[in-house]
Amino acid sequence: MKTLHRSIWMVFGLLIGGAALAYGQVPDAPTVNFPYAGNRTAVWVVANLHILFAAFILGAPIFVVVAEWLGYKNNDPKYDRLAKEVIKVTVILYSMTALTGGLFLFVLLGTYPDFSTWLIKHFFLVFAVIYPLLFILETVILYTYFYSWDSMKGPLKGRHIALGILLNIVGTVTLFVIDGPTSFMNTPAKAAEGVSLVEFIQTASLWDKMANFSWMPLNLHRLVGNVTFGGFIAGLIAAYMYMRSKTDEERSYYDWMGFVGNMIGVGALLLLPFMGYLLAYELCDYDASICPYMMADQLSMFFEMQGAMIGLIFLASNYYIWLSLKRIEGVEQIRMSGFVALAVLIMPAVMGMAWKMFPPPEWQSLIFLAAIVFVPMVLGRVPGLKNFTVSAFTMIKIGFLMIVVADAIWMTPHGFVATQGLATHDLELPEWAQELALMPAKNAAAFTLVFLTIVNYIMYNRAIKRGTIIWGKIDFASQFVLIFLAFSAIWTMGLMGTVRSLTRKYYHVYNLVPDFTPEAFTPTLSYSAWWITGVTIVFYAVVSFAILVTLKPASSKAEAH
Amino acid sequence: MANQSFTKSVLKKTTIGIIIGVILVIAAQQTHFPLVFQVMFFIYAMLGALVFILLDAPPMKRLEGVKAVAALLVFYVLLSGMYIAGATILPQYDPTIEAGKIEKVLKMRKARSQQGKADELIARTKELDERAKTISKLLRSLGAGAQVEAVATSTSGGAAASGDIVALGKEQWELQECYNCHKLFGSGGKKRGPVMDNIGNLMTPEQLREKLLYPKKWKAEGFDKQYKKGKMPDKYRDLMFDEEIDALVAFLASLKDTSVTTPKPIKMY
Repeated sequence: MKTLHRSIWMVFGLLIGGAALAYGQVPDAPTVNFPYAGNRTAVWVVANLHILFAAFILGAPIFVVVAEWLGYKNNDPKYDRLAKEVIKVTVILYSMTALTGGLFLFVLLGTYPDFSTWLIKHFFLVFAVIYPLLFILETVILYTYFYSWDSMKGPLKGRHIALGILLNIVGTVTLFVIDGPTSFMNTPAKAAEGVSLVEFIQTASLWDKMANFSWMPLNLHRLVGNVTFGGFIAGLIAAYMYMRSKTDEERSYYDWMGFVGNMIGVGALLLLPFMGYLLAYELCDYDASICPYMMADQLSMFFEMQGAMIGLIFLASNYYIWLSLKRIEGVEQIRMSGFVALAVLIMPAVMGMAWKMFPPPEWQSLIFLAAIVFVPMVLGRVPGLKNFTVSAFTMIKIGFLMIVVADAIWMTPHGFVATQGLATHDLELPEWAQELALMPAKNAAAFTLVFLTIVNYIMYNRAIKRGTIIWGKIDFASQFVLIFLAFSAIWTMGLMGTVRSLTRKYYHVYNLVPDFTPEAFTPTLSYSAWWITGVTIVFYAVVSFAILVTLKPASSKAEAH
Repeated sequence: MANQSFTKSVLKKTTIGIIIGVILVIAAQQTHFPLVFQVMFFIYAMLGALVFILLDAPPMKRLEGVKAVAALLVFYVLLSGMYIAGATILPQYDPTIEAGKIEKVLKMRKARSQQGKADELIARTKELDERAKTISKLLRSLGAGAQVEAVATSTSGGAAASGDIVALGKEQWELQECYNCHKLFGSGGKKRGPVMDNIGNLMTPEQLREKLLYPKKWKAEGFDKQYKKGKMPDKYRDLMFDEEIDALVAFLASLKDTSVTTPKPIKMY
C-alpha cells in the first residue's frame, strides 16, 4: 500500500514537473488584434455597452424604491405596479450587466495585457475582494427584493421598502468603489512637490489612489446620470406598453407611467449640467492642460455635439410637458406672473454678465441668480402688479423661444474648426462677440434651460391641481418623444463617456502609463458617432427585447389566462 | 379642416422663420460675423420655426401593430442618421496630425520601457537579418575580389539628433502644447499664461528650468489668479526627460524680443 502511494505521488510529481517544463517551453500567445475595429475600439465598445447596462441597473432601483414608497404612502397601487414592472426589466438586464462585464474584462486583458495587469495589481483589493463581494451582495439583495414583492405586502411592505433602500445603498457603494480605478486613470493621485509621480504611486495607499481629484465628481455625476437614465428608460417602457395597450384603462396607466418616468428623468437631468461642470472643473484643476484639450482643441467639436444633444433633450422634455398640458381640461385658466416671463427673456444676458464679473466659485454671482429667480415671484404678489399675468400657453411659448436662444448660445463655438490652432478670421467669432463662446455665456444658457424647465413643471403642476387631467388621451406623438428622450440620453452618455476617456490623451493612466499602441490618438467625431450610435442601437435592441418579453398589458394577460 | 389650418400655420411660421433668419444674417454681416456663423444663425431661426410648427401640430393618429413597429424602426433609423450626420458635418480633427506628434513624444519613453526594448531588439534583429541577406546577395552577384559596397542603413531621428538644441526646444514647445496657454510670436495662448516673446531677457536658463519643474516657485506679474489656481501644470518634471527639458529651456532662453511686453517674473520662494 505504501509503495502504491509513493508511486502515485511520484507519477503525480513527474506529471507536474513535465507540465511545468512543457509550459515553460510554450512560446507567448500571439498578440490580439481585433479585425476591422482595432483593439482600442473593441475595448471602447464593450466598455460602453457594459456601462449602459450598469447605469440602468444602478439607476432603476432608485426610481423603483421611490415609486414603491409613494405607492405605500399614498395607498396608490399604480405606483406599486410601476415599480414592479421596472424591477422586472431590471432583473433581466442585471444578467446582461454581468455578461458584458465579463466580456469587458476578457477583451481588456486580451488586448492590453500589460496595462490591465498593472491596474489590477494597483487595485488588487478592489478587483479581487471588495468589488466581487459587493456584486454578490447586490445580486442577493436584488433577487430577494424582486422575489419577495408579492409575499411582503401589507404590514411587511415597510420592510420590503427597507430592502429596496439597502439595495440602493449597496449599489451606490459598488458604483463608488469601481469609480476609484476609473477616475484614477484620469487623475492619478498627485505626488508632493519634489517626489516623482511614478515613485509616489508605487508606495501610495489604496485610499490615496481611490480618493483622487475626479473620484467624487465622477461619483456624483454618474449617480445623478443613472437616475436620469432610469427615469427615461421607465418612460421608454411606458411608451412601448402604451403602444401595445388595447384598452383605455391600460393606455391611461401607461400614459401616467410615461409622465412619472419623464418627470424623474427630467428632474435629475436638471442637475446633470452642474455635475458635469463640477467634473470638468476638477479635471481642469488637476491639470490645466486638460481644459484646452476638451474645450478648445481636439475635443471641442465633441462638446459642440454635446451642446446640440442637451439642447434637443431639453426641447423634447419641454415639448412633452406641452403635449401633456394640452390634454388638461381647464388649462386655459392657468396664468403666471408676467414678471416671470420678463425674467426668462433677460436671463441669458443678465446671468452671462454676472458670471463674467464674478466667475465661479465667487459667490457674488449668486446675488444676481437669487434676484432674477425670486424678484419676479415677489413682484407677482404685490397688489396692483399681480394682475400683470400671461396665460400658461403664452408662457410656454416664450419659454420655447428662450430654449432655442439658450441652445443657440450653448452651441456657438469660438470657431468652426476642429482645433483652435487652425482658427482663421473667416472661421471664428469677431473680436467683439467672443464672450459668446466663453464659460459665462455657456453657464447662463445652461441655467436658462434648467430654469425654464422648472417653470414649465410648476405650471404643469398648477394645471393638474386646478384642471382635470385625462390620462390615456395624450397626443400619440408624445410616445415618440419619450422614445426620443431615452435614445438621446443614451447617445449623450456614450458621447460624454468617450470624452472622459479621451481626456487621458495618449495615456492609459494620465501622465503615468503611456499607451504605446498606434491607436493612441483622438478619433474623429464622425468615427466616434458611428460607434456610439452602434452601441446605442445594440443596447436599445436588448432593452426593447427585455421589455417585450417581460411585460404584457394587463388585457393580454387576462386573455391568456 | 384641421389639416388646412395646420398647413396655413406651417406656411406662416416658415415665412416668419425665414424673415427672422434673413434679419439675423444681415445683422451678422453688418457686425462682421464670418459666413459660417451667418449660416448658423439662419439655421437657428429655422429651428425656432420648426419648434413653433410642432407646438401647433394636430394630434397624431394612434398607430398599432405592424404600423407601430414600422414607424418605430423608421424613427430609430432617422435618429441614428441624424446624429451621425450631425457629428459628421462638424469640423473633424485629423488624427494623423496628432498621431505623428504622439509618436515623437512617446519615442524616447518607449525606447526606455521594457516593451520598447523588446520592440527595439526585434527591429534590430530584423534589420541585421536584412543586411546579412543583402550582403550575401551582393557577394554572390559580384564574385570574388569585388569590393563589397557598404550597405546603407537607415537611422531614425537623425534630423532631430543633428539639429541644434534651440530647434529641438521649439519642437518641445509644440509637443508639450505650451502654446495652449502661452502666446508666442503672436499666436496661441488664451490668457491662461503670460506672453513669452521676451522671457529670455527676464529669466536666466536656471530660473526657467526652476519655473518649468516647480511652477509655484515663480509667478508672472498680473497672473495672481492663475498662480493661485495652479494653472501651470507641475507635471513636466515627471513627464519630460532631461534632454527635453534642456532643449526647451534653451529655446525659451533664446526668446529676446524686447518689442513684445512680457510680464515680469516674480520669485515666490
